[in-house]
Amino acid sequence: MDLITKERDRLLQRTARVYGLSFTIVALLCFVLPGAVSSTALIISLPLFLVLGIAQFRMGVSRSALWLGLSLAAGLAIVVVAGTVGARPSQAGFTALVELAAASLAASALVLTSSGPRIAVLVVVFVVIGATLLLLTGDLQAPLRTAGIYVLGWVLPALIAIWISAGVPQVAKRIASIGRAHRAERQASELEAQRRQGARLLHDTVLATLTLLAHSGVGVTPEALRQQAGDDAKLLRQLRLGTNPTQNGTNGEAVGTATSPIQVIDEPVLGTTLESVKQRFGRMGLQVSWHGTGQVLLPSDILDAFLLALAECLENVRRHSGVTEAHVTITEDSKMVRALVTDSGVGFDITDIDEAKLGFTESVVARLRDVGGNARLFSAPGSGTTVVLEVPRGDVQTEEAAQ
Amino acid sequence: MTFSAPEENTLGVVVGNARRAVGKTARRLGRATAHRASLGTAFLGLGAAILVALRAVYGASWFIGLWGRGTYTQPLAALSAWIVLGAVIVGAIVTSRVIGDRLPDWMFGLFLTGLLVAVALDLIAVWEFHDIGGYATAALAAGMTLLIVVTVRGSSEILIAAGVLGAGLAAMIFLDTPASDQITADWIAPQITAVAAAVLPAVIGVAIVESFRRMVQVELDRVLVQSTVSAPRYAVGMLASEELARLDLAAEELLESIASKKTALPLAPKMASIAASLATELRLHLIEGRRETWLYHAVSESEMLGKAVTLVDKSSLAGLLDPIQRDGLLAAAWLLVGDTVTSNSSRTVTVQVGPVAPGETPVPEHKILIPITITTTGVARNRVDPSIWDALGRVGHYSDHTQDSSLRVDIECLVDNPADV
Repeated sequence: MDLITKERDRLLQRTARVYGLSFTIVALLCFVLPGAVSSTALIISLPLFLVLGIAQFRMGVSRSALWLGLSLAAGLAIVVVAGTVGARPSQAGFTALVELAAASLAASALVLTSSGPRIAVLVVVFVVIGATLLLLTGDLQAPLRTAGIYVLGWVLPALIAIWISAGVPQVAKRIASIGRAHRAERQASELEAQRRQGARLLHDTVLATLTLLAHSGVGVTPEALRQQAGDDAKLLRQLRLGTNPTQNGTNGEAVGTATSPIQVIDEPVLGTTLESVKQRFGRMGLQVSWHGTGQVLLPSDILDAFLLALAECLENVRRHSGVTEAHVTITEDSKMVRALVTDSGVGFDITDIDEAKLGFTESVVARLRDVGGNARLFSAPGSGTTVVLEVPRGDVQTEEAAQ
Repeated sequence: MTFSAPEENTLGVVVGNARRAVGKTARRLGRATAHRASLGTAFLGLGAAILVALRAVYGASWFIGLWGRGTYTQPLAALSAWIVLGAVIVGAIVTSRVIGDRLPDWMFGLFLTGLLVAVALDLIAVWEFHDIGGYATAALAAGMTLLIVVTVRGSSEILIAAGVLGAGLAAMIFLDTPASDQITADWIAPQITAVAAAVLPAVIGVAIVESFRRMVQVELDRVLVQSTVSAPRYAVGMLASEELARLDLAAEELLESIASKKTALPLAPKMASIAASLATELRLHLIEGRRETWLYHAVSESEMLGKAVTLVDKSSLAGLLDPIQRDGLLAAAWLLVGDTVTSNSSRTVTVQVGPVAPGETPVPEHKILIPITITTTGVARNRVDPSIWDALGRVGHYSDHTQDSSLRVDIECLVDNPADV
């Protein structure tokens, strides 16, 4: 069953509970007035009122026919008892019975309009209770008038239920269209997020600059920092305006010389981007020497991950090693491209870097693994650090991922 | 070069909590849905207006009957009561139809004042009969008139107004008692029903509108979360990209101001800490989407699921489920949580996805088996909605048990092996 249909039924049940209980209380108040009904009838009816109340309360949460049947049976029993046992009910007693039969019990009409069988039950119940009421109280008020009030009392909740049920599909339709709009919105936001997250190289350099700034630019001249900040701001602006500068290198000059900043290269050449990384670190006071292969073709996502990991490693060298020079050796074979990042700095004990290791795992290893690569770390206090980064070459990527 | 406190660490993130950002997202969504909760109540308002009009006609016919028999000793008071009430009803119906959203305070005040005047005039007219319950007409119809504004004002305001009216009527009845020998059960009963007739329609109306709003809220929540079913394997979630855009912009502005020398170098400590927190948040957002699955977003974005569901999915395996399986799992969670959200908040659901235990059961080629365990508290096996079994069947082969007198379901969910795709 439709979930909103369930919700609608719940709504009608809760309404029936409030409706029924309210009028049960009113009927009870009139019923217990002195002289309203005979005392024998009162004593017999009080437990029945309790049953009626409990059943109507349970009707609010349970769709089970048990509570509905119980409430109707208890209500009908009260009418029969008051009408037959002991002295005739007074006008107050009659008012109580009308409140009971035409309002309190009529609340069940709220939950009896949703399906064919239920409507059939409703008709039977309506006729039985109405006939009993008229038969037993015909002498207290003109039957026609009683019948009029009774019919009105049952038609009203039935109409309320029908009205609410008619409103639900309308709402469901509008909610569904909101849902569709929301799905489109989610997809768009997802794409936008992917675009921004995909600009990893850009964020890498922005993050590096921000981190530098956070440490008040330790070891970097203000001029270099200003230039770097300007370049990064330019890249962020491009990203904001809808072009993806990722593939165009990480420095402003590369963007400036490219024929179009939106240019997308499927397999960018590693060499030109490596050069920009080198320039960036050069400005920040770390001399990077490249060795080995100068030109490697990599698909852009793999290149991104590779360069990002490389830049993270170099940033660590710059900040923690205590030396101002690092060596990067790029090698390749038929399947993998590897980079060896070496420094001759202070090094560290690998077992000491729990916290840093978390960061290393997250930012370097995870990104490389994403594209089927890996990273390994070698170091000891006093003898420098070596990081090996490896990524698959594009054409063998799927095999790598499968392993 | 020194090691500083690792609040900001180039190796990656060690501080912060991704939940912060998600919480913010959920709150914003919550606000949006609260605003949309007025959906469909206009239709209910129309029904209420029709009821009020019918009730007024019924009351007025009584009034005309009494008038015709020459009962009133102060007919002008009774007539003006009905004129005022009629004007209030017509004015309120037209205004609430036109405004459609929320009635301004001063209009509501005017409306209540009009009702008060009508009640007062009617009571003056019938005062000397010492039987308000038997003779009042406009005063009783005034209570039901509150239904006109039930969809355009807060529920508590309506209830308070109805309560004040009921208490006022009761007080007037008490002050207006006849000689003591006439106070019998037959005199009291009409007084009780009169007060009930004035107060109960508004109470029931409020109950209906409240339930209706809740239904709309729940359905909206469900439909909005349903959109995660078609999300990619990993997703950043709604509005997280907006957050990322905001951070990018903040970074851009900061860097720009440094490049253009508006901000002096070296940075003041305050600016430096801004840069640090920007970097941290940016990092968080950059890795965030790579960990979270649709299920995580569904649970964290939904008001109902978020309250009761705990998700354990260390390897983000939920992302591998296909849309049909996701739909089934979401529907099952919904049925488990949704049934008794108000009456029983002790109900909790824990969904554990994985870990994959290879080789235990033979699986078709290019598939892997992800075990999903749903453990609950406070959910009796025989109390769950039967349609949950159908929903679970869409996820995979399942078996249900009772653990600590609450339902536990183990599902074997067969998904495409990501390595083969």
